[in-house]
Amino acid sequence: MSSSRIMPEFELLMPQSISEAVEMLAKHKAQAAVMSGGTDVIVSMTKGFVAPYVISLAEIPDLDYVTYDKKAGLRIGAMATLQQVADTPEVKENYPALWKSAAINGTPQTRNMATVVGNVLRASPSGDCGCAIMATGGSVVLEGPKGKREVSIDDFFIDYRVTARKPEEFAVEVNLPPMENGTCTAFARMTRTTLDLSKVNAAVRLDMSGKTCKEARVVMGAVAPTTLRLKKTEALLKGSAITEEVLAKVAATVPTEISPIDDVRSSAEYRRQVSGVLVKRVIEEACK
Amino acid sequence: MKKRAITLYINGEEFNLNVPVHYTLLQVIRDQLNLMDVKYGCGRGECGACTVLVDDDKIVCHDTDKTTKYCEAKRGGRKAILACMTLAATMDGKRLTTVAGLDQDGKLHPVQEAFVEESAIQCGFCTPGMVLKGVAILEKNPKPTEQEIRKELEGNICRCTGYVKIVKAVEVARDRMATAKK
Repeated sequence: MSSSRIMPEFELLMPQSISEAVEMLAKHKAQAAVMSGGTDVIVSMTKGFVAPYVISLAEIPDLDYVTYDKKAGLRIGAMATLQQVADTPEVKENYPALWKSAAINGTPQTRNMATVVGNVLRASPSGDCGCAIMATGGSVVLEGPKGKREVSIDDFFIDYRVTARKPEEFAVEVNLPPMENGTCTAFARMTRTTLDLSKVNAAVRLDMSGKTCKEARVVMGAVAPTTLRLKKTEALLKGSAITEEVLAKVAATVPTEISPIDDVRSSAEYRRQVSGVLVKRVIEEACK
Repeated sequence: MKKRAITLYINGEEFNLNVPVHYTLLQVIRDQLNLMDVKYGCGRGECGACTVLVDDDKIVCHDTDKTTKYCEAKRGGRKAILACMTLAATMDGKRLTTVAGLDQDGKLHPVQEAFVEESAIQCGFCTPGMVLKGVAILEKNPKPTEQEIRKELEGNICRCTGYVKIVKAVEVARDRMATAKK
């Protein structure tokens, strides 16, 4: 039985260091839910999700960093909140897709609690930060008993709410590459109401040389079991100038690459209908 | 039932508690401490009725020499969080403010005063969260525009739909606090 107010009992573990957290996870593996901001874990627990152990990262010092370096790029620690990322001027300037996905996420209060890394790790197909990060490119740093490893965001989302993270690993940070001149990113989403989860979202990264697009990454969310790269659409953009003609081809190709479903937030038919237009708009915004 | 010993500072008062680890901060504040000014609305982060302010403190340590370390609490602003989505056991040592702790020397906070004067209250259920969020807005940005105030109040729902007066009240408080500073 689940109640909206009362959570089932569990054992709470409060590691004081990353190595202690790794030990605890190695011991309890999939029996443990890792909690950063708590906005996902606590709400799912009031709805019947049960984990015998909850490992909170709240008392591990110095995990709440957002650091930017022109040559090294952006690093976001596991406890850095959406609001911290939204309040970092270097993010707004250099990573507009990520900035927007954090700044419009949830409510002002939940942005003070929820973390970017947690948003990625939840691996919801409609996750906004995951969509923006996949378009921008980057990696998730995982730490386990055998040490650290870095997984490209392209290989991170495996299936509906399944990631490349092994049960004994925890995500320490997300890295984004430095942005070259001519690289632009953008993110957009559609919701039923302002504070809703996305019914569809999309993000792009375009590496421009003058008017020609050298490389493109086009990503959509809530149109497949995972956040999805649209490779045919990317191929259309690569080597082309962003003209009305190319954008019309893009808008026609996007719906052929996605496999949306009917759910409470939208229908498969609607999602397919709007997907091309949404991607077209995100490309236009990135090129501004 | 698993419990954890924690200390909370609520409105300046110290509470040494033994909290069940699966209790939310809201359960502890309302059911254990009987502080009823923090409201339970939706339980899922949509309504803002259970908003509390938490001091955004950081312990910053400097090495003075090789053997000793000097640590100090660096005081950040107060930020608004939701008590219904926070585990109480993870809040050890935190300083919290609820609406009952906003007054200073028996005088209402300018945001509270403005809510009274502008009649920005109908049934009153959302009021504690609205007032606290209003305070958080003005502590972070003393000069928000009306649009910025509306945007920042997005996470607080008023079922009486008295938003116009609530936004006005925050604007009145903004202007009064700016004048008081001069």
